[in-house]
Amino acid sequence: MAYGRRLRQVVLSGVVAVAVLLVLLPILVMVRTVWKEGSGQLGNILTSPGLGVAVGNTLVLAVVVTALAVPIGALLALALRSPEVPGRRFWQFGVLLPVLVPDFVLGYSWVRAYGRAGFTDDLFGRYWQGVQGPAGVAAVVVVNAVPLCFLITAVGLAARAEPAVERAARISGADPLTVLRTITLPLMRPAILTAAALIFVLTLGTFAIPQVMGTPAGFTTITTRIYSNLARSSDPLSFIEAITLALLLVVIAVLVVTPADLLLGPRLRTTRVAISDSSAETGGRAARRWAAGGIGAYLLVAAGVPLLALVATAVTKAVGVPPSPANWTLENFRLVATARNGEALVRSLLLAVSAASVLVLLGGAVASLERSRGGRRVATLVTLTVVLPGSTLAVGLLITYGRWLGGTAAIILLAYVAKLWGIAHRPISGAIDRLPPEEQHAARVSGAAVLTAVRTVVLRPLAPALVAAWGVCFLTALHEVTMSSLLYGPGSETLAVVVLNSEELGAVGGTAALSVLLTLVLLVPALGLWFTSRALSSRRRPLATVPELPGAR
Amino acid sequence: MPADAVNSAEPVDTLAVRGLSVAYNGVDVLFDVELSVAAGEVVALLGPSGSGKSTLLHTIAGFRLPRTGQVWLHGRLVASPTAAEPPERRQLAMVFQNYALWPHLSALDTVAYPGRRRGESRTRARANAMDILERLHVGHLAGRRPADLSGGEQQRVGLARALARQSSLYLFDEPTAHLDTHVRGVFLEELATRRRETGAAALYTTHDAEEALGLADRVALLTAGRIVQLGTPEQVYNEPVSAAAARLTGPTSVLVPPGSVSSLLVRPDWATLGGDQPARVHQVWFRGTHSDYLLDTLGGRLLVRASGTPVHRSGEQVSWSLLRSWPLLRGSAPQ
Repeated sequence: MAYGRRLRQVVLSGVVAVAVLLVLLPILVMVRTVWKEGSGQLGNILTSPGLGVAVGNTLVLAVVVTALAVPIGALLALALRSPEVPGRRFWQFGVLLPVLVPDFVLGYSWVRAYGRAGFTDDLFGRYWQGVQGPAGVAAVVVVNAVPLCFLITAVGLAARAEPAVERAARISGADPLTVLRTITLPLMRPAILTAAALIFVLTLGTFAIPQVMGTPAGFTTITTRIYSNLARSSDPLSFIEAITLALLLVVIAVLVVTPADLLLGPRLRTTRVAISDSSAETGGRAARRWAAGGIGAYLLVAAGVPLLALVATAVTKAVGVPPSPANWTLENFRLVATARNGEALVRSLLLAVSAASVLVLLGGAVASLERSRGGRRVATLVTLTVVLPGSTLAVGLLITYGRWLGGTAAIILLAYVAKLWGIAHRPISGAIDRLPPEEQHAARVSGAAVLTAVRTVVLRPLAPALVAAWGVCFLTALHEVTMSSLLYGPGSETLAVVVLNSEELGAVGGTAALSVLLTLVLLVPALGLWFTSRALSSRRRPLATVPELPGAR
Repeated sequence: MPADAVNSAEPVDTLAVRGLSVAYNGVDVLFDVELSVAAGEVVALLGPSGSGKSTLLHTIAGFRLPRTGQVWLHGRLVASPTAAEPPERRQLAMVFQNYALWPHLSALDTVAYPGRRRGESRTRARANAMDILERLHVGHLAGRRPADLSGGEQQRVGLARALARQSSLYLFDEPTAHLDTHVRGVFLEELATRRRETGAAALYTTHDAEEALGLADRVALLTAGRIVQLGTPEQVYNEPVSAAAARLTGPTSVLVPPGSVSSLLVRPDWATLGGDQPARVHQVWFRGTHSDYLLDTLGGRLLVRASGTPVHRSGEQVSWSLLRSWPLLRGSAPQ
């Protein structure tokens, strides 16, 4: 017993040290820097031209995206709930597809699909003037946010709105719409509000889409302004402004997440196992067909046409040339197949593999400590990193460790670990919560020591969650660009940074070819992990929990 | 539901199920079920887990379409393979096995829900709900949500909700399955009182033979999706159609007397210790109010019940005699 306690204390100390070094210290250094060097100039910073517009744009964007993405995600969750929907598995994969496409690639795809000289312009002579500008940015951020909202509301729906409670309402005299209004939606409310809070905060920190689609049209947000401020690093005022803005993002995130957590946390914590019911219900077949048709149309516009346009651009000889077979070429791929890009790809893969592996260990360590008070505090801090804007973390790490690690792949790795810790921790923590303690007790009374019990009866059922956590971290790290673009130096570019730089240079065919390659690099392992995780899960009883708000403990 | 579906020639039982088959994923789980419930009658559907009890109830309620057959309510066709009236229009009340209470509603609002759906004002629906909760002795729990109620309290709120529906047919889907013995007794007592008050008909599913025999006017025995016997509790207990049907309603032994080709069914209280038949005690169980002896007899193994504490031990030679028996039809012998 004493051995177990000592082990826990060693792990807790290690985890606290990492959390302080990677998250708390950088933020404290930022605060100190603004305090010491910027306090006299705060007036100048706050009145600098365009700052108010960037802050206003960011807040309006976050409100609009939340207002659109949450209803769409919730509707998709409701529509895909019935096992009777034709092609349900295909549509579920389709709804999640935008997650597998890097956000800036999705943004660029929309420009190539619906913009001037894009896919629809080539084929039908029609294009959307506003695709590069606030409306286009909002549309793509919505498409990018919908999968998260879908996941949260679908899990919330499965965990709280059992078929039996809806049947009880029907038999009590309620028609299907009344059941939706009086039973289903109220039961989904905590999940919907969680999704809204998360999407609002994540939109505040979104960078790549506004950079790719907004900057060319003069649309700035806090994150794009931080990026341009750091690019002008010779101007001390710009540097202080970047740090101030990064801290402002944290303040807004905390202001939104804390009350949401206090209000929703207790309700979300009362998770329970969903009673699955694959039984066929009577009626509603036409409605299900309509639902499938509607989802198909949404996916076609949101991801299908843009990705097709991206591939078409990558294999077409030049911009403005119709993407017909006569104009197809692999020249764009040949041009981007350089040694430098190859190194960037290998670097990206190595960084993603290293980050994912470290993160599973750290996430598992925090999850295993959560039943103690100290462990719960660290877990709260770790969960908050999910909503900590990438720009803030990158700036914090840069000014804290930049003098030693600036421009190296190591600082990018630190940033990935700091930012994705919460993402790795959640699935593992959820899986540990669902493990009946009796299983471990049974192993102990059967003669297993602490570590043997963990190895023999805990790790095996945790395997799907560990694989899922590793996979999500790997994929997120591979298409991360917000932090990488602020932290990279000569010889430490990731493939995502190469694509972003290529787009900024206006190399259309090359950018499209690189984007296709980057998406394939993500899609292939994603499918592999999906199948592995499914195979592992199918051997374990299916359970569902409501995801918690960051900080909900 | 098309207007021509209404057929006044159908006998007006509260519920009539005609030739009903139901399939899951193309595999039949109910076969050609015939069942009726008259006005004010309580029919218990007794069967083991997985026999199709809940499926039958859910088809009657309107949550599932029949593959073949029909469901009639008060002489009105409500379900056939091609058309089904939605559950909310069938005017049924149902009590669910897992209570199916709404986590976001208080007990009062839960019980007021059917009234609100009938178009009653919130005040009136709540007043009626409070009245029902008080009659069920859970008025003091009106403000609580399901998470703050015990299993027994939740099931009373579920019963109150069903009563608030003011239906003439109640469906009970194993309502006592998750209740402990004491709470189950209280619930069944409550049910009997409400039944006397409302005079409504009920279809009650259970896998507990004592419960079925004790509360029903008729009992339907369901195994593997088929109704194998339907009759009064005395009929299904005393005159089972097969050994399998007999086992559904209580402990039973099947003896083949020496020199005979037919089998006899014997309940534990149909034989007694002492008499002219020799046997050896195989096993003994003390049950509190009585003791059970499993005897090795010349005709096979026989369970005999005797009052008091055990007076014989395993391996002991005893004698026994038969008080009564029930001949099993050929082909329904020991299973």
